[in-house]
Amino acid sequence: MEKIDENKFVDLVDKHQNLVHKICKLYTNSIAEHKDLFQEITIQLWKAYPKFRGDSKFSTWMYRVGINTAITIYRKSKRRIRSYNFDDVSYKIPEDNPYNDQEDKQLEAIYEAVKALNDIEKAIVFLYLEDKSYREISETIGLTEVNARVKMNRIKNKLKKQLNP
Amino acid sequence: MDELKQLKKDWQKDKKFPKINKSEIYKFLHKKSSSIVKWIFIISIIEFSFWSIISFLIKDNENQQRFDEYGMEYIIWPLMITGYVVLFYFFVLFYRNYKSISTTVNSKALMEQILKTRKTVKYYVVFNLIFLYISMAIGVMIELNNNPDVLLQTSKFTESGDFYIFYGIVILITLLAMGVITVFFLIFYYLIYGILLKKLKKNYKELKAIEKQ
Repeated sequence: MEKIDENKFVDLVDKHQNLVHKICKLYTNSIAEHKDLFQEITIQLWKAYPKFRGDSKFSTWMYRVGINTAITIYRKSKRRIRSYNFDDVSYKIPEDNPYNDQEDKQLEAIYEAVKALNDIEKAIVFLYLEDKSYREISETIGLTEVNARVKMNRIKNKLKKQLNP
Repeated sequence: MDELKQLKKDWQKDKKFPKINKSEIYKFLHKKSSSIVKWIFIISIIEFSFWSIISFLIKDNENQQRFDEYGMEYIIWPLMITGYVVLFYFFVLFYRNYKSISTTVNSKALMEQILKTRKTVKYYVVFNLIFLYISMAIGVMIELNNNPDVLLQTSKFTESGDFYIFYGIVILITLLAMGVITVFFLIFYYLIYGILLKKLKKNYKELKAIEKQ
């Protein structure tokens, strides 16, 4: 069996860290929560690393562990995750984004609406945003492909209703 | 335009995240052990404060006052000072263990630190028990030589030629008391440190399994 190398693991997490950041972005509302979740996902990845057999790509495996961790943490801290502060507003929208005001506002509204979805819906949206196929989405979250499609349609309708009342 | 498609466009462009450097990632991996060791340090301070408060509360106790009147300060004070100095030394060790575990950046060094911390806690418990036995033994000796009631009993037994029975009883009661106190303290230490040490051991095993593979 290949020796599990801590340095190799850290290199891999470092290389794919944007993926973890993106999960954190959807599941948290402040920089502090973002960092906490990043740390928790890293710990869970490290704990699960001996079981990673390399059958799938490291990034694919990372999606699975990362999303599961985010869902677990989100469920635990659902009540307290509602608080916002001034700094968190700038955290949601990049400071030097290239959009005009109206687009900015629209994007912010979409982000808000996505963040208000439940944990599983958020995971589906996240994988969709990451350009994953329905097969990959269903495998990562543990749904059937049909179920993933049905849920996605419901999410789209939900967002449409919410954003265009 | 579909809301999610609009979001997707922005999402894939978004790469502005706070960069987490490798040394921070290493620290995340070792965070669990570090927080356990931090608790060992905090609990040892709480425990020390707890016993200090207890001894302060019994200061005005009748037995304590009588004991103070024996004028045995030349034995009691060095004993107390030794105890406090050693305890302080242990707190320093606990704090140093915590500090070095939080800054450890590889598994092997972390495993060594975990073993070191476990050892420190074990020595701490052993010291507390031995110190307690010594204090008890000295306390009994002082009572035997100074307590008027005990002196009366001693002379009665000596007169009747059964003094060895008296000392036998005293030794037996002392040993029984030591046994009860040992059990009490072992349960006490098991509850406050044993659980943390078990968690630390689990971490150690996880790290060892990873190292072996």
